[in-house]
Amino acid sequence: MKTIPPPCPEPESGQRYWRSLDDLADSPDFRQWVEREFPSGASELKDPIARRHFMKIMSASFALAGFGLAGCRRPEEKILPFSKQPEGYVHGVPQYYATAMPTRGSAVPLLVKSHDGRPTKVEGNPDYPDHNGGTDTFTQASILSLYDPDRAKRFTRNGETVPAVEALDFLSNVGRTAGQGQGLCFLLEHTSSPSRLRLQQEVAKKFPQARWFSYEPVDLQFGATAGAGGSVPFHKLDQAKVILALDCDFIGDEEDTCRHCRNFAKGRRIQKPGDPLNRLYAVEGLMTLTGMNADHRLRVPTSSVLAGATAIATAAAPGNAAVTALAQKFPLPTSVDPKWIAECAADLAQNKGASVVLAGHRQPPAVHALAAAINAALGNNGKTVVYREAGPQLGRLGELRELLNQGAVSTLVILGSNPVYSAPADFDWATTQAKAKTVVRLGYYEDETFPFCTWHLPLAHYLESWGDARTSDGTLAPVQPLIQPLFGGITEIEVLARIGGMDSTKPHDIVRDTFRQFAGQGNFEETWKKFLHDGFLPNTIYRPRELAANALGNILSSATAPAAPSKDSLEVVFHRDYKLDDGRWSNNGWLQELPDPVTKTVWDGLVLISRKTAEEFGVENTDVVEIELNGRKIQGPVWIQPGFADNSLGISLGYGRKRGEKGGAGRVGQNVGLYNAYALRTSAAEYFAVGAKLTKTGRTYKVSCTQEHGSMEGRPIVREANAEQYKEFPGFAKNMDLEAHSEHIPIDPKTGKPYMIYEHPYSGYRERKGQVAVDLSKQMFVSAIHQWGMSIDLSTCVGCTSCVLACQAENNVPIVGKDQVSRNREMHWLRIDRYWSGSADKAPKEMIDDPQAVTQPMLCQHCENAPCESVCPVNATVHDEEGLNVMAYNRCVGTRYCSNNCPYKVRRFNFFDYNKHPIGKDLYKSPLTSSSKGRWNLLNWLKEPSMHHTVEEDQWDLMALVRNPDVSVRMRGVMEKCTFCVQRIEGAKIAQKVKAGASGDVQVPDGTIKTACQQACPTDAIVFGNQLDPNSRVSQLKKLQHDYEVLGFLDTRPRVTYLARVRNPNPKMPDYHAIPLNIKEYADKQGNPFQAHHDAGHTNSHAQKGGAH
Amino acid sequence: MPNVFPRWTNRLPALALVGLLLVGTAATAGLWYYFTPKYTRVGYSPIQPVPFPHSVHVEQLGMDCRYCHSAVEKSWYSNVPASQTCMNCHNQVLKDDPRLAPIRESATPGSRPVEWVQIHKLPDYVYFNHSVHVNRGISCVHCHGDIHKMDEVYHAKPLNMTFCLECHRNPAPNLRPPDKVTDLAWDPHKHLPPDWGAKAKKEWKVNASQNCSACHR
Repeated sequence: MKTIPPPCPEPESGQRYWRSLDDLADSPDFRQWVEREFPSGASELKDPIARRHFMKIMSASFALAGFGLAGCRRPEEKILPFSKQPEGYVHGVPQYYATAMPTRGSAVPLLVKSHDGRPTKVEGNPDYPDHNGGTDTFTQASILSLYDPDRAKRFTRNGETVPAVEALDFLSNVGRTAGQGQGLCFLLEHTSSPSRLRLQQEVAKKFPQARWFSYEPVDLQFGATAGAGGSVPFHKLDQAKVILALDCDFIGDEEDTCRHCRNFAKGRRIQKPGDPLNRLYAVEGLMTLTGMNADHRLRVPTSSVLAGATAIATAAAPGNAAVTALAQKFPLPTSVDPKWIAECAADLAQNKGASVVLAGHRQPPAVHALAAAINAALGNNGKTVVYREAGPQLGRLGELRELLNQGAVSTLVILGSNPVYSAPADFDWATTQAKAKTVVRLGYYEDETFPFCTWHLPLAHYLESWGDARTSDGTLAPVQPLIQPLFGGITEIEVLARIGGMDSTKPHDIVRDTFRQFAGQGNFEETWKKFLHDGFLPNTIYRPRELAANALGNILSSATAPAAPSKDSLEVVFHRDYKLDDGRWSNNGWLQELPDPVTKTVWDGLVLISRKTAEEFGVENTDVVEIELNGRKIQGPVWIQPGFADNSLGISLGYGRKRGEKGGAGRVGQNVGLYNAYALRTSAAEYFAVGAKLTKTGRTYKVSCTQEHGSMEGRPIVREANAEQYKEFPGFAKNMDLEAHSEHIPIDPKTGKPYMIYEHPYSGYRERKGQVAVDLSKQMFVSAIHQWGMSIDLSTCVGCTSCVLACQAENNVPIVGKDQVSRNREMHWLRIDRYWSGSADKAPKEMIDDPQAVTQPMLCQHCENAPCESVCPVNATVHDEEGLNVMAYNRCVGTRYCSNNCPYKVRRFNFFDYNKHPIGKDLYKSPLTSSSKGRWNLLNWLKEPSMHHTVEEDQWDLMALVRNPDVSVRMRGVMEKCTFCVQRIEGAKIAQKVKAGASGDVQVPDGTIKTACQQACPTDAIVFGNQLDPNSRVSQLKKLQHDYEVLGFLDTRPRVTYLARVRNPNPKMPDYHAIPLNIKEYADKQGNPFQAHHDAGHTNSHAQKGGAH
Repeated sequence: MPNVFPRWTNRLPALALVGLLLVGTAATAGLWYYFTPKYTRVGYSPIQPVPFPHSVHVEQLGMDCRYCHSAVEKSWYSNVPASQTCMNCHNQVLKDDPRLAPIRESATPGSRPVEWVQIHKLPDYVYFNHSVHVNRGISCVHCHGDIHKMDEVYHAKPLNMTFCLECHRNPAPNLRPPDKVTDLAWDPHKHLPPDWGAKAKKEWKVNASQNCSACHR
C-alpha cells in the first residue's frame, strides 16, 4: 500500500504550553501519553521523588517527541482492513483474468494483471492456441486509456448532465416508438463480436425498416472482402516460404499484426547455417515496417501498386484473361525494372503452395483481387491462405449521408465512432448529422462529435465490459471486465438490447446467451467457466469457403486508377498512424510519445516526402509546406523519409485535433500536429489521391525526433549477413571490429586466462573465447544459483515497438512531452534504434532512396564491467550477485555521471517531477519562480504545503491507478534505467523460495520469469533467462555462432547479447546485394568479416595507420 | 594606533573554535542518538480504536498468528484481519462488551472498516516481503518482538536497514524449523543444537541477499 498518507488529525499530544515540567506532569493528557510511550516510566510519575528523576532524564524526549516538537514522528497512518474480506483475495498478490481486446475484425487475446481489483498491466494470453502471449502497441497502451481523466463520465442531453436512468429510459423509448423502424438509423464501427452481430440481427428483425451503416476511417476489411468477392482471406505466413506484400504492412498497419509478426518470424528464426528462411518482397510507396523487413522492396507511388501487382500477376498467373486486359490498361511505370517483376514472379511460381500474396487496406479491391488471383493460380489456397464468408455488409457512410440530406432520419444511433472528426471532408458531417432529428451517441470521449449529439452516453472501456470477440481465424474469445465501469459506462450490446426492448439488457447475460450457440454439448456452466478461465473456446474457427474464381474477373474489369503522379500533380497518401491509429488514441500520452517506428518522431504528424521530390521543391526537413488537393488545403512540416516513393506525400491520420468549449480532443491530444488529415481526405479517394500541389510557406516548425542520425557509419553495431554468407562463414559476427582481434590477446599459460590489467570481480563466470569459468563458490559476490542474461534476435525483431510500451506500462515510466523529447529527455528505458544504409554504388545523396533498414532494441546491457557503476559518487548504482546492474533510487543524488559514462546511452534522468507536473512549459514552474492566482507561489506553498500538486486533482487520482505497485515511482533528480524487470525476478525468486520452504530447491525454472519486453514481443525476439542453467533458452542462444555483443570492444561485458541478423535475398533480383549494405560500409572501412581475419583486406588500414601486425 | 578591540577578544577565535567543536559534537551525538529509528521508533505504541491484546489471544488462548494475519504466507503484505474474522468468535464471546463496539459496528454490512493505526511502516522505497521470510524459517518474534506478551502492540525493533542487514549478513542464528515460525514462545536456544542454523542455511540454500536489488526496486 504505497500511497501518500492521508492528512491526519492533530496528534493527541499537540502543542501545549506549560510553564514548568511539573505543571506538565499534572495534566491528564501527559499522563496518558507517558503511559503509552513509556509504560515503565508511568509508575515513576506517581512517586514524587522518582518523578523528579524521571522528568529530568526524560525532559529532552518530551521536547522532541511530542510536547514541544509535535510531528517529529512520522505522520500517523491508518490501516483499513476489510469489514468482510472477499473470498480468495490476498492483498499484494495480483490476479490474472483472461479477456480480449476487440479490434476491427479480430481480437487480441489477453491475460490482464489486476492489483486490488483494478487492472494494471495487459499481457497476451499464452494459452491461446498459436499465440505466444505477445501484444501490439495499441493493446499495451489501452490500459492508460482506461484511466483517462478526459473520458466521458456522464450521460448528457443537449450537453447537460442527466441521470443515467433517464438516458437508459430514453433508449427503451426509442425502441417503443420506432414502429417498424422507419427513420431509425444505426451507425456502427467494425467488430468481430458475435453478440453484437446477434443483437444487430434481432433488432433488425424487430425494426425491418431501420437502416444499418458502418464506418471506419481506416477500413481494414473492405478492400480484401470486396476484392475476394465477399470472402475474407486468412493468411498463414508461417506456411509460406515466399511472401509478397502489395502495400500491405502486415507487421504494423493491417489487421492482426501480432499474429502476422509471429508467423512471419517463424520463418526468420535461424539457429544454424542452412536453416530455412522465408523471403519477403514488398511493393509499396510509403516506408513501412514491412518494407524495412523486406528482402527486396520495390518503391513505387502507392497509386502505382496496381500496375505493379498487375505485372506480377501477368507473370505469376499467366493465362488469366482479366489480368491480361488489366495489364494493358495499366502498364508498368517506366521507373520500374521489369526484371524485378519477372524474378519476383518466378520466385513465387517456384514455391507453389508455399507462397502467399497479401494486399493492404490502402489498395483498391482490384489489387486484392489480383492477390487472390495469384494465390489461386499458385495453388496457395487452402495452404497459405484460406477464405471464409464475410459477415453481412452494412451500408456505407455515403448512403447514410444521402438519407440525412433527404431528411429521412429521425433517430440516428451512433455506437462509438467519431464521424464529425473522421468523416470524409466532402461530407461536411457536422452539418449533415444535424439534419437528423435526434442523435444518440455512445462515445468514449466527449469529442468533436459530442456537441452535435442530442443524447450522449459514456462508452465503457473493454476492460470494464462484458462482451465477446472472434479472432481472425474464428476462435471465440471472451471480453471479461476487470473492474466495474469507473464512470458508469455502458456497452454497445447493452444499447442495442435496450433499443430492441429485450428481456436481458445486462451485457453479461447477453454474452452468455450468445455463448449458448457455441457451447455445444456438455454442461453449459462448466463450459462457460472454462471459457472465461482459458480465454478462448476451442473448435470455433470459421468454416472455410472456396473462393469464387469468376468473382475476381468482375472486380478486375471495373478497376480504375488515377494517373501517375508528377511534380505538378502529386500523390497524397493518407496512412493510418502507427501510434494514433485513425485518431482514436490521440489522448493516450504513451502512444503520443512513442517514437514512430519508422520516422522516430513523437507528438507530431509529418508530411513524408522522398529525397528527390524534396530537392525538386527545394524543401528541407521541418519546412512547413502547404498541400492543396481539390481545393482543400492543409499545412504541415516536411520530413524526408528514406525509401519513400517520388512525387508522393505521406499524411498521417489522427492529428490536428482541437479542444473546444463544448467538446473535442482531450487535454493530451489537443493541438498535436499542425494538420488534420481529414480536412483533405474525401470519399472519392480515401487512402490515396493524385492531383495535389505543394507550395512552400517559408516557415519552419520544430519536430521532435528521438533518432535523427540514421547511419551506423560503418560501425558494427547491428551485424548482419546474407544467408549464403552466414553458411560460408558462420562466425562472422564475432569477426568484426576489435573482437576480431581477440585471438591476439595473449593467454597466461598458468591460469589459462588472458593477461589482464584489471580483473573485474563479476567477470569470473562468463565463458569467453579460450577462457575458463571461474569457480563460483569462491566468489562472494557472484551467485551460484542464478546469473541473469538476455539474448535479442535481430532476425526476428521486426521493429514493432510493443516492447517499449510494455516496459513503460510495467515500470511506471513517465511521459515528458514534446519539448523535453526535443532535448533528448525522453524516458523510455528501452528504445528501438533504426538504422538506414545505402548502396555505395550510388551518389552519396541518392543513397537513402532505396535503403536497407535494420532495427535493434537497445536497453541497459547490464554490463559486468559496467562503466556506470564505478563513477557514482554515492554508490547508488551497484552490481548485484546475479549479474543485474541495480539502481537504488533513494540513494541517487542526480550527478548524472553514470549516464555520462554509459556508452550505450540507456540511462534516463528525471529532470523534472514528470509525474506530478503536467507536461509542457509548466514543467519549469516551481514554488520559487512562478506565481498563480495573483500570488507568488512560494507564499501559497508555505500556507498550504500540499498545493505543490500542480496536476489537477482529477487527473492525479485517476492516473495513479495505472501505476504498478511493485515498482517505485521516481521523483525529480533520480536516474533510472532498465532493471531487467527486477520486480518480476524478485517475485519469481520469492515464489520459488516459498515453494521450496525448508529445502534447497531455490533455482527458478527457465521460462518462469518473463521480462515485460519479452512478454510483449509477438515474435519472441527477446529471451531472458538464467545463464547458469545450461538448458535454459538463453544459454542455448548465447552459444550460437552469430551471437555478439554491441560495443564489445569496450570490455563492458554486457549480459545482453544479440543474434546477428540474417537476410535472405534472391541472387537473381536486380536489387540484390551480395553483402548487406551496412556491412559493405563496414567492410570498406574496416575489413571484410566474411573472411578469416588475416585474409581480409585488412593490411590496408593497418598499413595506413602504421601499426605492426 | 589605539586598541580597537579590548584584550579579552584575543581569546575569542580559540574559544569560538572550541565552542563550535563542542556544539558540533553535541549536535552530532544528539542526532546520532535521538534521531535514529532505534530511538524514534522503538517503543512507539499508538492508541488503537480497539485495545486488542495479543497477550490474551496468543499467549492465553493459543491462537496461531496466521488465523488473523492470513496472507502472511502468500503475500508481501501481512494483513490486519477483516472485522469478520474477529466476529467469528466475538459474536458469542464478549458479545456486548463496549470495547468491541467498533468491531461489531464495522462488521455490519455497508459500514466503514475499523481504522487501525499502523505501527510498523517501512518507507515506500523499501519492498519487504513477508511470505519469503515466514516460509523460510524466520519467526515473527525476530522482527516484531514478543508480540505474544504485548497488551498493546508497540514497535519492538528499529526495523531500519541496519537491523535488516544484521540478519541478512548472518541469517543462520535466526533460522528455525518452519513449523515453529509462529510458535512465538518457543525458544530456539533451548531446543536446537548450536550448529543447527548453519546446517539449515546450507541445506536450504538460504541466500539472504545483501544487495540493493533485494529490497529497493
